[in-house]
Amino acid sequence: MDVSINDFVINVATANGTGSQSSNLILLNALFEMGVPVSGKNLFPSNISGLPTWFIIRASDRGYQAPGDKTDIQVLMNPDTWYKDIEKVESGSIIIFNENVKLPVDRDDCLVFGLPMTKLARSISPKMAKMIANMYYVGVIQHLVGIDQSALETAVNRQFKGKASAVEVNLRAIDEGRKIAQEGIEWQCPHAVEGREKEEGTFLIEGNEATALGSIYGGINMLSWYPITPSSSLAEGIIHWLPELRGTEDGKSTCAVVQAEDELAAAGMVVGAGWAGGRGMTCTSGPGISLMSEFIGLAYFAEVPGVIWDVNRVGPSTGLPTRTQQGDLNLLREASHGDTEHIVLIPGTVEECFEFGWRAFDYAERFQTLVFGFSDLDLGMNNWVCRGFDYPDEQIDRGKVVRSAEQMAAIENYGRYRDIDGDGIPYRTLPGSGLDPILYRGTGHDEDGIYSEDPEVYRKLMMRLKTKLFNARKVLPAPVIREEPEEDVGIIYMGSMENTIQEIDDMIEETGLKVSQCRVRALPLHPDVEKFIDSHNKVVVLEINRDGQLYGVLRKELPINLVPKITSVAFSDGMPPRARIYSDLILDALVEVES
Amino acid sequence: MSKVIKLNVIERPKSDYTGGASSLCPGCGHDQISGVIIQACWENGIEPSKIAKMSGIGCSSKTPAYFLGQSHGFNTVHGRMPSVTTGANMVNKDLVYLGVSGDGDSASIGIGQFIHAIRRNLNMVYIIENNGVYGLTKGQYSATVEKGSKKRKGSPNEQPPIDMCKLAINLGCGFVARSFSGAKKQLTALMKAALSHNGMAVIDVISPCVTFANNDESYKSYGYVKDQTEELHGVDYIHHFQPLNEVDIPEGSFEDVELFDGSVLRLETLSSEYDHNDPTAAIVALHRAEMDKKHITGLLHHNTDMPTADEDQGLVDTPLCDLSEDMLRPSRAKHEELMARFRA
Repeated sequence: MDVSINDFVINVATANGTGSQSSNLILLNALFEMGVPVSGKNLFPSNISGLPTWFIIRASDRGYQAPGDKTDIQVLMNPDTWYKDIEKVESGSIIIFNENVKLPVDRDDCLVFGLPMTKLARSISPKMAKMIANMYYVGVIQHLVGIDQSALETAVNRQFKGKASAVEVNLRAIDEGRKIAQEGIEWQCPHAVEGREKEEGTFLIEGNEATALGSIYGGINMLSWYPITPSSSLAEGIIHWLPELRGTEDGKSTCAVVQAEDELAAAGMVVGAGWAGGRGMTCTSGPGISLMSEFIGLAYFAEVPGVIWDVNRVGPSTGLPTRTQQGDLNLLREASHGDTEHIVLIPGTVEECFEFGWRAFDYAERFQTLVFGFSDLDLGMNNWVCRGFDYPDEQIDRGKVVRSAEQMAAIENYGRYRDIDGDGIPYRTLPGSGLDPILYRGTGHDEDGIYSEDPEVYRKLMMRLKTKLFNARKVLPAPVIREEPEEDVGIIYMGSMENTIQEIDDMIEETGLKVSQCRVRALPLHPDVEKFIDSHNKVVVLEINRDGQLYGVLRKELPINLVPKITSVAFSDGMPPRARIYSDLILDALVEVES
Repeated sequence: MSKVIKLNVIERPKSDYTGGASSLCPGCGHDQISGVIIQACWENGIEPSKIAKMSGIGCSSKTPAYFLGQSHGFNTVHGRMPSVTTGANMVNKDLVYLGVSGDGDSASIGIGQFIHAIRRNLNMVYIIENNGVYGLTKGQYSATVEKGSKKRKGSPNEQPPIDMCKLAINLGCGFVARSFSGAKKQLTALMKAALSHNGMAVIDVISPCVTFANNDESYKSYGYVKDQTEELHGVDYIHHFQPLNEVDIPEGSFEDVELFDGSVLRLETLSSEYDHNDPTAAIVALHRAEMDKKHITGLLHHNTDMPTADEDQGLVDTPLCDLSEDMLRPSRAKHEELMARFRA
């Protein structure tokens, strides 16, 4: 029998709140410790305890990080989804189940192994039996695929932060599970792991924590936030790291944290902080952005810097609060009433979450406007392999702030909203400075900040705002382009799709096509995106939503002659992207283009 | 011969505290309040550049254009002035935050932010210019209008009012006062005291709308307020920099309320029953006044035992907006240590 190496998907079906997160992260970390390229996806319900949860672990020497097309090892712990989970398993796969659930597994076509996990766990600790039961499947899987004991022990230690009693109890359960499997399993497992040289300096981290760290390196002065999945862990990450990274020796803080009464207030605090010369930020998800929209328009029109991170979940309305989507792009690009547009930074990796985390503040102050970070639940709340964060290679950019009378004297004909330098960006002074104070307002204002309803004044102001953001295009992160010399098919995509694109690309190339990739990393669009479309025969715009929102942005912002070249492939069902679905849709779309 | 210009304690003329010409209706109570703000800030000797004037949307919220022209200000969005002020206060705790709002702005759309700003004890003066109607949209009732009160056009209001002072006291606000835009002496003393308070100071100022609700059936008209108002006490403000021998001693009984900056609000007691230290007494008095269709004015409640929102944060002494780059970004050495820890 052929044994495939480092190429399998484990799916663990449990109920929320039963402690399986620990056992799943131990498996993930143990594989990672062995140098096996691995990814983990937590598919959890909008619920604290009791509803079904799945955790998908994929080992892939090719570095594929999407959930994969099929499950190779299914773990059954949850009676509520038992039959459905069994039904989905393909013939020949492995099923590991908890006998204490007392439900049948009638799959003669699969490799099935059961053990009384809860009962065994009870003999170790009656109190903790529910949690410890999960460790038995870790032991079984360790035996089946051959996970190194040392890697496993490292993972357990990390999970329980070296707490001796917890490490001991859980290792005992894993050991016992492994031994029972050794004695009881007579068939050969078709999957195995082989240690690889672990890439030097890598570690696992969630996108939200990476963004939190980036924000701290970006000099955040004020975090306002209102709890909402999946962005809460971003705020909590900042709160966790602030004392160590931004506290003084005498225990004082350089960043205020306010848990706001709602998202409207959170946005108001960001605007207030930016107005007063600080670096304010909030983080939220789609429903929060909807609520913040009025303030977003004020910040755009009154030219107040600030940063808002949107960790996208599935909309519309409350939607699927714990599932992933790229459905907020339109909302962010044009949030608020009237003519508005906003800078949107779109990280695709945890390294970029960190980088855009600090850069967002520089862009906000440089362009005196709100800057959005656009992440999603998949990127934000799952663990990803990180090669480390580069220390910011640029000084903090505070933008055009006049801080002294001497500076002011050097500016001819200062006005808060006068375009002195011809780049659309005016100078500003800060409250408390006594330098040329104005009453900021959301109403029409002239170049000196005085109330005005004059048609010419309004029009000129709005055109300057447009110029200001148009000029930002070349400064914002350029797209990441991987070009094939044939320049035939191009795929434009963004954000967390980065983690699935290579698998999609490989699937399409199996058909003989050559595929170039262009990952958009910011709006307004960088000129290189236009060049990419121009140089390719057919361009697919790929994204995780129903309507093709990035496609819509391109249609609106590209020169009209390029528009016929682009085709939309948009799909969203709440799940992290699975490569096969998208590659099939792309191939269909290309066939349609041909005909 | 040149005219002698009177200067305040920081040697500034009153003209340093004035603003642009008002575009409100002639006779509007709000303009009188703007005059009192100018007077109080000047007399208290506050550096104009150190004041941040904040407002929401509405007639009252337009007034920051008409006072303190040398101060930065922000005319924000409807009902959300408290959150903008909170953000500004967090990054610059050294400014004097002077917020102006109205009854529409604060008692309806903005009531959540009003409540939470009090809960945090945001260090600001919060002035409500209260006329019971939405003036800027042509005179609809607001949520502070009394049951039975009637504006110039239309039927009497049937719903009970939200009393912003009662609300503030219930929430534990440390400085709550009510006054009348026409009571210049009282309002000036209370305004100066509010500016001397550390923490949230709410002054609800009845300020008649001359266009839509100045008929005698309106409980917030000039005529009604003049007839139906009881002053809890006479008030006199004594600056901390004022020599004591310049202060007149009242003939009757009086009580001195010591304020955060060392100034004193002298209450010349008219009603022996009232204790401004006791929040329940204030609630009872306000409730009785509502039953009697009267207004009571003066310092309703005062206490100083709460930390302010910014004190709660444990921030460095320098305002956060003035921090240098080395205080805003972890060092390269720290970064390398952190990465090594992640990789271990």
